[in-house]
Amino acid sequence: MKTYIEKLLKIDRRLIFLALTLLLVFPIIRPLGLPNVNLGTEVISLYNKIESLPPRTFILISLDYDPATRPELHPQAVAILRHAMRKDLRVGMLTLNAGATGLIEELGERIPRDIAPGKVYGKDYVILPYQPNPVAVLTQLGMDLHQMYDKDRNGAPIKDMEVFKGIKSVRDMGLGICITGTALLDYWIAYTGDKFKFPMAGGVTAVSQAGYGPYLQTGQLKGLVGGMKGAADYETLIGVKEKGTSGIDALSLAHLMVVTLIVLANLMMLWLKYL
Amino acid sequence: MSETWMIFGGWVAAGLTLFLFSFLYKDNPFFKATEHLYLGAGMGWVFQTVLYQTWIPKVWEPLRAGDFYVLIPTVLGLSLVTQFFPRISWVSRYGFTFIMGYGSGLVIPLTLSTDFLKQIGGTISPFLVSEVSRATFWPLLNGAIVAAGFVCVLVYFFFSVEHKGAIKKASTVGIYFLMLYFGAAFGNTVMGRFSLLYGRFDDLYKYSGAKYFYATHVILAALVLYFVISHFTSRKKEAEEEAA
Amino acid sequence: MTFIKKHIPLALCFIFGVLTLGSYYVPNKASENYLEVMNKWENIVAGFAFLLGLFSLFFSHYNKIRRKVDGWGYSLFVFVGFLIMVIPAITSKGIQMDGATLTGLGWNYRFLFNALSGTMFSVLAFYIVSTAYRAFRIKSPQAGVLFAAAFILIVGKVPLGQIMWEKTLGWTHVGISQIVQWLMEVPVVAGRRGIMMGLAIGGIVTGLKIIFGIERQYMGKD
Repeated sequence: MKTYIEKLLKIDRRLIFLALTLLLVFPIIRPLGLPNVNLGTEVISLYNKIESLPPRTFILISLDYDPATRPELHPQAVAILRHAMRKDLRVGMLTLNAGATGLIEELGERIPRDIAPGKVYGKDYVILPYQPNPVAVLTQLGMDLHQMYDKDRNGAPIKDMEVFKGIKSVRDMGLGICITGTALLDYWIAYTGDKFKFPMAGGVTAVSQAGYGPYLQTGQLKGLVGGMKGAADYETLIGVKEKGTSGIDALSLAHLMVVTLIVLANLMMLWLKYL
Repeated sequence: MSETWMIFGGWVAAGLTLFLFSFLYKDNPFFKATEHLYLGAGMGWVFQTVLYQTWIPKVWEPLRAGDFYVLIPTVLGLSLVTQFFPRISWVSRYGFTFIMGYGSGLVIPLTLSTDFLKQIGGTISPFLVSEVSRATFWPLLNGAIVAAGFVCVLVYFFFSVEHKGAIKKASTVGIYFLMLYFGAAFGNTVMGRFSLLYGRFDDLYKYSGAKYFYATHVILAALVLYFVISHFTSRKKEAEEEAA
Repeated sequence: MTFIKKHIPLALCFIFGVLTLGSYYVPNKASENYLEVMNKWENIVAGFAFLLGLFSLFFSHYNKIRRKVDGWGYSLFVFVGFLIMVIPAITSKGIQMDGATLTGLGWNYRFLFNALSGTMFSVLAFYIVSTAYRAFRIKSPQAGVLFAAAFILIVGKVPLGQIMWEKTLGWTHVGISQIVQWLMEVPVVAGRRGIMMGLAIGGIVTGLKIIFGIERQYMGKD
């Protein structure tokens, strides 16, 4: 028995890799359809915040994520964008991450196709170009954004666009949402949220979600969507189930595997030590 | 882009994904080549983004319009590159000090307000008279736990006094609060990484369809074949070397 | 020469630092104008900063190719990858979508960059599982607390865990989601806030040291 356990503890890691692969692929081929019932309170807070905004309020969404965090964050962006468009809000999208521009183009392509077919570019939404140096950009957004952004991402002047009517800085906007896999949400909170009293919310990866508790408690963040689970929660709230919800099955199985493996390995260690 | 390009794209994406995953079995030339390709492609992407979204609209176009003030930040920016030439590397200090001075000037007041004062405010706010008068027992208890935990964590990080007696006890409690935070972060980390992996598998599944002419299946089979052949050829080589 | 090489840059750092710091506490038209110019300039300077990474990568792989070190052939792929991205960008003039169709640059992002970048980071999931099995040993009370928090988070956040909790511990009438919420809103906030405070003090002190020229490692060696 002892040698058997020792062998099990030193199992070829490739077998673990294979087990994980099978566990993640299985629900993709055959979805389990597990219900997503317990919704995060901070996700509900963001949903309610957007619900409370009057129509035609301008909101700014900073899409600061790249393909490395896409599976978690892109579904969040789609769900939030869908909600904002449904509420007839004006939406400005920008990025401070050079790797994000292609993902924003994907959103730009999807808005007229399936996110909000009736919305008009330049009137209801706009996509701004990438800008380096987040600190400089965020500070400027609180003063006069047109000094930093004079054209959209394809080079068209933005000053006379209807979507920017009455908008000079973040002080004229209803909400800012930074969706990121980096520390950029901290920058948004400090450099625009706190400095210019701009209501901020965030969408972050599950990895960094725990770090934003203090900002939520102080009200510096009005809401937070964390990881794929957060995206699934938001999709449930708006009643449109997409990539976030479909990923929950796979996450459930894989998590169960990790917990089982840790418990099993520790039990085996105890067996070796005491029995 | 035509449909053919989209199908070809599926093959490229499936191929690159599987090549990178192949490292999980064993290091191999496909992985190494793809890994290097990633380094170059990543840098290429940033280069073209900066070229078309910063250099051209913010430097080139203003210069053509006669705004020569942009030359100042341009020269400061270019000075950074002198780092690579030891004889004139000191020139880069002008660019760096410009960035560091401005950055420090901004970071000090904002950190003081956002991460220092507001956090102290957040810790004591449940005990303000206005809050206490309308609060029930549980919020007050939770507020007290947050405050006690916060102070204990600070004690743990405070190295100017020797950790013994009451200080040691507080510091030990601080460790437990840190462990709870790290545990929660670990739980979330596991979740996050699985989401990414799920995303890649989802793409591979998409490219395994008839629309993409079973790209995932074909490339995966080719990789397996490569590993089988390389397994036997390497064993043959080893046997020959031993015989020699 | 020391004056030009060292003293002027340090003086510039001090001047820009103090002016920027002052502009926060003394908000008026002049300080706003100053900050506006600085924001625009810093934006452009940062646009050149990535060249440090680009040159460093190119030099390192160029040297590998020149010296024909082991595996130098792979270094060629660095340059191939770079050109694969930059050439379509030039032909597409940096635009990814032409109306509703993808340009060469957009195609590159969707099928090449997306696959490369996404996969590179997702590989870590495999190692997390393998390491959790092989190295996560609960040998001390602290490790036990860490595992308990992770366990509650993992079980409480996914539907399957919630279902299992209900089936086994439903009789306690304490929902796992309530425990997760309490954990995230109380002890996690305390732990994280302590770290935040430490980082904030460190950040402020470093900022002051940079402005006053005490911290000057970023300037390199004399």
